[in-house]
Amino acid sequence: MASRPSSRLLPLLVPLVLVAACAAPAAPTPTASGTDAAPSPSVAPSAAAYPVTLTDDAGRELVLESEPRRVVSLAPSNTEIVCALDACDRLVGVTDFDDFPPEVADIDDVVIEASVDVELVVAAEPDLILAAGNELTPTAVLEQLDELGLPVLVLYPETLDEVYADIQLIGAALDRAPEADDLVGDLEDRVADVVAAVGDAERPATLYEVFYSEGTTYTAGEGSFLAALLELAGATPVTGDAQGVIGAEELVTADPELILLGTASYDPSLADPETALETVRARSGWEDLSAVRDGAVVPYLDDIVTTRAGPRIVDGLEALARAIHPDRFESGP
Amino acid sequence: MSATTAVRPIAFGPSLGRSALVLGAGVAFVAVAAAAAVLSGTSDIGIGDAVAIVLHRLTGIGPVTWPASAETIVWELRLPRVAAGMAVGAGLACAGTVFQALLRNPMADPYIIGPAAGASLGAVTALLLPVATVGWLGLGLVQLFAFAGGLLTVLVVFSIARGQAGTPVVTLLLSGYAVSSLLSAGVALLIFNSGERLAAVIGWLLGSLGGASWPRIGFAVPLIVISFSLLLVRWRGLNALLLGESQAAHLGVDVEREKRILTGLAALATSAGVAISGTIGFVGLVVPHLVRLAVGPDHRLLLPASLLYGAGLLVLADLGARLAGGIPVGIVTALIGAPFLLWLLRRSVRAGR
Repeated sequence: MASRPSSRLLPLLVPLVLVAACAAPAAPTPTASGTDAAPSPSVAPSAAAYPVTLTDDAGRELVLESEPRRVVSLAPSNTEIVCALDACDRLVGVTDFDDFPPEVADIDDVVIEASVDVELVVAAEPDLILAAGNELTPTAVLEQLDELGLPVLVLYPETLDEVYADIQLIGAALDRAPEADDLVGDLEDRVADVVAAVGDAERPATLYEVFYSEGTTYTAGEGSFLAALLELAGATPVTGDAQGVIGAEELVTADPELILLGTASYDPSLADPETALETVRARSGWEDLSAVRDGAVVPYLDDIVTTRAGPRIVDGLEALARAIHPDRFESGP
Repeated sequence: MSATTAVRPIAFGPSLGRSALVLGAGVAFVAVAAAAAVLSGTSDIGIGDAVAIVLHRLTGIGPVTWPASAETIVWELRLPRVAAGMAVGAGLACAGTVFQALLRNPMADPYIIGPAAGASLGAVTALLLPVATVGWLGLGLVQLFAFAGGLLTVLVVFSIARGQAGTPVVTLLLSGYAVSSLLSAGVALLIFNSGERLAAVIGWLLGSLGGASWPRIGFAVPLIVISFSLLLVRWRGLNALLLGESQAAHLGVDVEREKRILTGLAALATSAGVAISGTIGFVGLVVPHLVRLAVGPDHRLLLPASLLYGAGLLVLADLGARLAGGIPVGIVTALIGAPFLLWLLRRSVRAGR
């Protein structure tokens, strides 16, 4: 080990891995098949009948000869889309992080502690695998599934429009196109309602705390999905770099007027507003931030739906808008 | 150990009976580890089915009474992984034995003069290249870059250390350390700029046999087998080098040539192993020590025994890693091997050896 200085760096990097999921896309994702920037999934014209040709978020083409009956989902967001299209009963493998809808708890896990168990995936005998992009499903695993000849769709939506497109993609794959169109229409209406409600309001400079460690704050990355949601919800997001990192000095310069503690979703000690305010006030440099001086530090308990790119992302948008502009939602949307 | 036979330095090995016992136990260990790893996994394929599948694929006999997925799991997932584990473990243990003798340094491991750092830089570079993976001889771009990076680094280190009067061991060690540090700085720089590829980079650096498939190991495994086979027959030179370089030269060994060949073969085995599994620590450092404590320093027995126990240990550790939810295999090799080494050390200290 002494001869391998690089190995000593690894422990330091673990927090970075943890928050990588919340970071902004820095550049087009290089994947097994190679992609260009944000390829949008598409469905060949003859969508209803099989065989159907699908193009996924990694730009890979997949031909489905018949309607998939055994679906494995490698990401909670994919699971939620399948279930929202009323096809929950086709899932034969999910992740151990899946918690919605509640009935998925009974489905076998094939992803354990964020690592894909390829043996369990094969044992589930899937005729469709819904993988995740951005290394959430590792490229090495995608290559292995390809080598085994298993049908894989990679889903990696980075905007609301791409979430809609992925819902329609899964709808086309599972012969649920009308349901997918209905769901997307409903989501679009709800987004329009949020935008209408907050449209003319003041837009506070808002820091969404994804993670905090030793003076480094992880927030919405520049150009990230989360930053876009904050804007739709009527805020001016205080963004970090592409990874969502914002240093103490940049934070003081940006001087947020409102701080949403997404961390409170996982850390019960931050759920109480008084305690939360005291906790962040104790961080060096934070006591002079406008939001801290004004007591505008809000424990935000809906992080899961806000950062999981499934159909409930709109629940997240509504929760953000309510947290940022409570006065606009007194009767509740 | 074996003090009674220390009369002729080149052949101070243990008795034939003891050698047969050690090697026989080693073969049994590898066989048991491999069988356990092929027959068990996270899916619930019965042991009977798994045995029948292997027999069916080897001989074509027997009716197919299992689902196709079970055959895929046993033949396409578990077996190549076991084969890769055996080859990489054997290669690392052999290379570690060679470097410990060559450098006369108990802390020497297969990575000591740079192949790990070189392979890491190669692999991480390939991971961050914005191009589609291209394959060659079944190796992906990442494996290819790792293999080339490892070999190239050893070549550079050896050339730097080589002078008019030969290649001093201390210079070799220090230049290996310096080049490793330089390359590791490059790796660290790439890591901090890896953005959304970070998870892939870290995953590779931690080392895993999870990516093993028949096409992927088809190039590296034969290369490792050839390297350690050629190393096995060079036990005389290694024994002579244990006495010191001038003594070895007096015994008629062309020390410089021997050094070049041994370093080249060990680097080849190490680089090919790193290419398919990433950098797996511990096996190459500790297995030679374990075996040396048990059988003594004669490389005629030490090399093949290290090879066998390295192969068995890595297969067993990888099985543990698989069953424990895919944790890095290096953690398991250390968890199994370190307490055992400490126990052997205590025993030998108490015995005053």
